[in-house]
Amino acid sequence: MIDVFVGALVYSNLLALLAVGLSMALLTCRVSNFAHGDFATVGVYAAHTASVLLGISPYACIPIAFIAGGSVSLIAFLLVFEPLRGKAELVTLMVVSMAVDMVIRYTLHVYADLAQRSLGVYTRQFMFRDFHFQVAGYTLPGVLIASVCTVLALLITLYFLLYRTSLGVAMRAAIENPSLAEALGVNVKKVFAVSWFLSGALAATAGVFLPFRIQVTPDTGWSLLLSMFASVTVGGLGSLGGSIVGAYVIGFSETLFSYVLSSIGLSTAYRPAVSFAAIIATLLLSPRGLTGFLSNGKRWFKWRS
Amino acid sequence: MEVLMFALSIGTLYSIYLILATSMELEYGELGLPNFAKAAFFAVGAFAVGALAVRLGALLAGIAWEGEFKLRSYYYATLVSSSIARNPLIGLVIFIVPTVVALVTAVALGVLASYPALRLPGDYLAISLIAFSELVRIVTRNYEPLVGGTFGAGVPDFLAWLGSPWRELAKLCMSSSVAVCVWAGYYRLSTSPFGRTLRAIRDDEVAAKAFGKDVTRLRAWTMAIGSGMAALAGVLYAFYMGSVSPDDFTVSKTFLVVLMVVLGGRGNPLGPPVGAAVYLLVDRAITLTKHLIPMPFDVNYASYIVLGMTLVIIIMKRPGGIVPEKPPITVKIAPPLDSLREAAPPAKSRNVGNQLAYSHKPSE
Repeated sequence: MIDVFVGALVYSNLLALLAVGLSMALLTCRVSNFAHGDFATVGVYAAHTASVLLGISPYACIPIAFIAGGSVSLIAFLLVFEPLRGKAELVTLMVVSMAVDMVIRYTLHVYADLAQRSLGVYTRQFMFRDFHFQVAGYTLPGVLIASVCTVLALLITLYFLLYRTSLGVAMRAAIENPSLAEALGVNVKKVFAVSWFLSGALAATAGVFLPFRIQVTPDTGWSLLLSMFASVTVGGLGSLGGSIVGAYVIGFSETLFSYVLSSIGLSTAYRPAVSFAAIIATLLLSPRGLTGFLSNGKRWFKWRS
Repeated sequence: MEVLMFALSIGTLYSIYLILATSMELEYGELGLPNFAKAAFFAVGAFAVGALAVRLGALLAGIAWEGEFKLRSYYYATLVSSSIARNPLIGLVIFIVPTVVALVTAVALGVLASYPALRLPGDYLAISLIAFSELVRIVTRNYEPLVGGTFGAGVPDFLAWLGSPWRELAKLCMSSSVAVCVWAGYYRLSTSPFGRTLRAIRDDEVAAKAFGKDVTRLRAWTMAIGSGMAALAGVLYAFYMGSVSPDDFTVSKTFLVVLMVVLGGRGNPLGPPVGAAVYLLVDRAITLTKHLIPMPFDVNYASYIVLGMTLVIIIMKRPGGIVPEKPPITVKIAPPLDSLREAAPPAKSRNVGNQLAYSHKPSE
């Protein structure tokens, strides 16, 4: 049982980082970014390559993954989403993001093939070796403590960045009303570029923790996309605090659901049913998600597009 | 001979893609409803064939079934094919029954799926439909009695009584005539009041409602028609492939269909044929030439990268696609002199003045 709980907590931590980034893309460019999962995969491969080349623990490669994922995200923003911002319809933007996803995902496939040849290590179906520690008679994986610390540190930094710095004020103003912010002297393009960098960097950081739990391939990030969208939807579209809460709701219910499935002898492959049911139920019953219920004057929850 | 077979195969595949692209064009291009569960509706047709054709054929041919479906379906498909070679009537039945089942199921599912469409904004509708489509795939992949799960299901050849090149030729003729019928039907719809109403809803839903258009009913109709088309394509695809595998119907299939529509031109009836042709050309060109240039990675990946980039560039540089949408011709074209008089500004203003003067006359 403790294993299920640990699994759920680690998974929810990763989902929280991914969902916050997805929300940021949604807030800045109104794009339901289908390429977001691939930023996590970029993080996986950046950390893997760096740890093989430098011979260090994957945990030490988190900064490298952070920069790699952020840069890929920034390039996607500058080349594709910034020129289309405010010009294309929602669905068109989504189709574009699917195309971007295709480009990044299959580039990663090519990269995995090339890296396997030149580095002589497995680049598909690999896992990172983790350390373990003992607490009160239980053996816990190191990824638990590492992911909790990283998520807390990053989310608190993000909160201070958004609410206690002038860049954060500019960012929120630009999201609220881009043309008004521009008129008041905010460089909207630059501010959005920063938020896209952060969005990709958070996803890539989450990606580094993935190979500690599951075998990864270049399609791993893409396969998490449905859960990310479910977290964002359950939390309330375009609310950062909401998506974090949504991530824990989805993460725990998915893990528990697959635990129940395996204990009654069914395939755990039905796991995505949770996310699907959550999306449909939220959108039909309470389209504003949990934030719709919980917004009692708290600014962190009320901040919406 | 080999070239002929290749041409026949490409022609059949093109017809199937044309039907899919046309159905997407009707829903996404004309109505602006992103039916991103296209792969699931396509799969409904293929699964109907995969689940029914072998069982029905075995029943009609009097072959007793032994063993699990997932392990034995390919074996029985061969047996059924050889009895079809003796008795063409079985072939007819195993084609018609799954087609009817597929159409009914797809139309019902399409109407059902059109209801969330009322509540959800475009991109979230698309996400829920993608989720639905993935769920359909996952369930069929893990529930083995239906189409054999990851093993897939064998499909008997319903034209086994024909000789080798004639069989493929007959398949091509059938698929292409279905495709032409579907496209002609769509063209007729697109240029009718129905099509104009769909574009009106796409451009401004509130205005269309204000003019008394029943948006709910039109959406349900469009989804029903589009889903039926996709299921028909699925039936043809299953018989073309000779087997059915759930993993063939991923979101990537939907994406390819969207790619064809956007590439060809949303809202232009010529978009689907052009888009499907361009996609198939690029895809086959890469498949054929990949043996010529040795690469240190799988060239199929490169083809996806090229397709993705093409789509991004098309949307950014030429949002209308290769053949952009034109305003439909709904009235008789005026003689050339008339349009000249319209175009000249002084004449036009004088004309308006005259009209005003004339309209004021009775009141004076």
